[in-house]
Amino acid sequence: MDFDYTEQQNMLKTMAMDFLSRECPKVRVRELEKTEIGYDPEVWAKMVELGWQGLIIPEQYGGMGAEFLDLIVLMEEMGRNIFPSPFFSTIGLCTIPLIKYGNKRQKSNYLPLIASGKNIWALAIIERSGFLHPAEIKCEAVYDGDDYIINGEKWFSQYAHVADWLIVICRTGLEEDDITAFIVSNGTRNIKIDRIPTIAGEGYCRVRFKGVKVSPQNILGRLSRGWKVVEYLTEYATVLKCAEVAGACRAVLDMTGNYAKERIQFEKPIGSFMAVQHKLVDMLIEVEGLQYLVYQAAWLLSTKGSADLYTAIAKAKADEVYQRVCIDGIKIHGAIGFTMDHDIGCYFRRVKGAEFVLGDREMRLDKIARNMKLE
Amino acid sequence: MDFKFGEKEESLREEVREFAKRELGSRVVISGLEEESSDDDWAFSMLMSKKLAQKGWLTMAWPKEYGGQGASYFEQHVYIDEASYWGIPGTTMGVSGIGWVGQSLMLFGNEEQKSKYIPLIAAGEPDGVWCTAYSEPNAGSDFANIQTRAVKSGDVYILNGQKIWTSCAHRARWCWLAVRTDPSAGKKQKGISLMILDMTSPGITIKPIYNYAGLHIFNELFFDNVRVPAINLVGKENEGWYYLMQSLAFERHSIAPQFYGNARRILEYLIEYARTTRYKGKVLATDPIIRHKLAESAIHLETLKMFGYEITWKMSKGIIPVYEAARNKAYCDFVIERLATTGTEIIGIYSQVDIKSRWVKIMGSITRLYMMFPGLSIAGGTDEVQKNIIGQFKLGLPRAY
Repeated sequence: MDFDYTEQQNMLKTMAMDFLSRECPKVRVRELEKTEIGYDPEVWAKMVELGWQGLIIPEQYGGMGAEFLDLIVLMEEMGRNIFPSPFFSTIGLCTIPLIKYGNKRQKSNYLPLIASGKNIWALAIIERSGFLHPAEIKCEAVYDGDDYIINGEKWFSQYAHVADWLIVICRTGLEEDDITAFIVSNGTRNIKIDRIPTIAGEGYCRVRFKGVKVSPQNILGRLSRGWKVVEYLTEYATVLKCAEVAGACRAVLDMTGNYAKERIQFEKPIGSFMAVQHKLVDMLIEVEGLQYLVYQAAWLLSTKGSADLYTAIAKAKADEVYQRVCIDGIKIHGAIGFTMDHDIGCYFRRVKGAEFVLGDREMRLDKIARNMKLE
Repeated sequence: MDFKFGEKEESLREEVREFAKRELGSRVVISGLEEESSDDDWAFSMLMSKKLAQKGWLTMAWPKEYGGQGASYFEQHVYIDEASYWGIPGTTMGVSGIGWVGQSLMLFGNEEQKSKYIPLIAAGEPDGVWCTAYSEPNAGSDFANIQTRAVKSGDVYILNGQKIWTSCAHRARWCWLAVRTDPSAGKKQKGISLMILDMTSPGITIKPIYNYAGLHIFNELFFDNVRVPAINLVGKENEGWYYLMQSLAFERHSIAPQFYGNARRILEYLIEYARTTRYKGKVLATDPIIRHKLAESAIHLETLKMFGYEITWKMSKGIIPVYEAARNKAYCDFVIERLATTGTEIIGIYSQVDIKSRWVKIMGSITRLYMMFPGLSIAGGTDEVQKNIIGQFKLGLPRAY
């Protein structure tokens, strides 16, 4: 039993904390929300020098070959800073399945360019309905003898507007799970991309495919077995998102605790009032609980390669806790917490984005129930 | 990072499981504080205490010289979790002796006290059963406000006053007692002393207080010129508050695994119930609302499990937990309240059936929990008291009371 990070992981954590608070203060976060590309390419380039994009990419493909838990450290810190970048999309949603399901040629073609920060990737899976389920996948890829032709549309594809490559989850047959994952070059005229305006400006896009040609060589994993790829990446990416949320919750707790010590009313710091103090304590308990559930899921995933139940538990908890600490945090701040100038609102705006990444609460609770043998 | 137990702990878990199956059989087990209520249950629990002592489990974390096994915090964690899962009675012998008296005596007691009292606890003897008398009518959450007086007269203290909510007083041979020895000490935390009271002493009146479920767990104690030998003073006179604070620390790591073990059994009962009960032509387990309620309970239990692991791990590294213990207590209270209320929603109208009735569902486990959780949340410090501790010692906020 060990709740600690390794010494190296602690070093990575300190480095990430320093880097992110220096390179991306909240003023910058707010500015980036309004920009066309939604991230800072200069910071992205500096991240390459730190080796972040290649952190978990094997050394033979130009990465550092670090373990999944190292990535958890990084995501926690990115969450603490609500750092806007295509990192989660490129690494969590695309690189992880590329490493697992990519063939040799695909890996040597794509991974070095990710590690060097030259390529950004986005996952295109959710459609207009907004649900994550194989039956909802209507965007189809039809084989014409030489190529697959993709027609259809994808919604809420994060950072698709700046991505060099897309992983597109397409229907390739009538059976509900006859689904295939394709690697698609994002440069072509037949792909139309619009930003979906969202409350945190996190780079969500609608992507429309009209007769887009893709070679069979660009299938990721096996034909008609694409949902396996989805399940695999969902598990890992979900835990990464949880770590990001845990970091964000920690930040909200810290800023609210500090405010409760400084803000004087009735000649006392408001944190001395039991109603306020107990709310903060409840926040702390929830945030610590979340953090440990995330660590457990991440540890199981990195040692056993699967943690279905624990991933679902961690994410269901993350969704609940993120919302709770933001709401209570804002209430403790009072009117100032309701302003654009205060950081807490930046976190609150991101709650729903984090919640609906790769599924929703109902889906996760049902996954837990299935694992409890409730059949 | 690593969240598994070692082989030693896993084989201990297996042994405890086999012990429980063999000893408890299909008997409806009454354990925890409730075992103090009926004579039959108490007799069975004392029988179990003896067997647990023979196994070396009862006080496994104590040093060998005091009748323990010098077991690690991890072993103790697994034992408590598994014993609570099966509801083995007699694991605490009325809570106090095993919970804090033994360890407090090891630290603050003199040699005579150590050799007289500790082996009786470790052996699971009826003469090793203790109660603890801290609370008074006007010393509840504000428990430094102790008024019971002990006045020294030669080689005895003369004791007068009243204690209340004393669990197990009607079963205990000894009482771990906090009294005021110096009323002029200024701060109310000063002038308190700890002493050992022989429950057979003349002048003690024990009056039962029945809880609303009809169980006799706690009592009122009245002292009318009770003579306590001065050699029964623990540590130094007027320094009892310091010992009290230390003694509270001893039960800290056991709260979470104890509640977790019990709760995970009850959740399993509920799952089994949902799988075998039919509603609208289908089993209840297919109903999305029922599924989600049970999934929510699983999230709470998993969080509690991690809190328990964390405190055990910290203690294994020599860290003395402070706010963590308060957090675990507060979270335990939350978890069992939610499990009890959710459980009643699932078993529905049957949740009110008496636990001894042949019509009761899932062995009365939900009804019992539902009847007990409000009391358990108050015992050992209310939610509010725990949260004040966390606010002050972890979040660094000013005192809120």
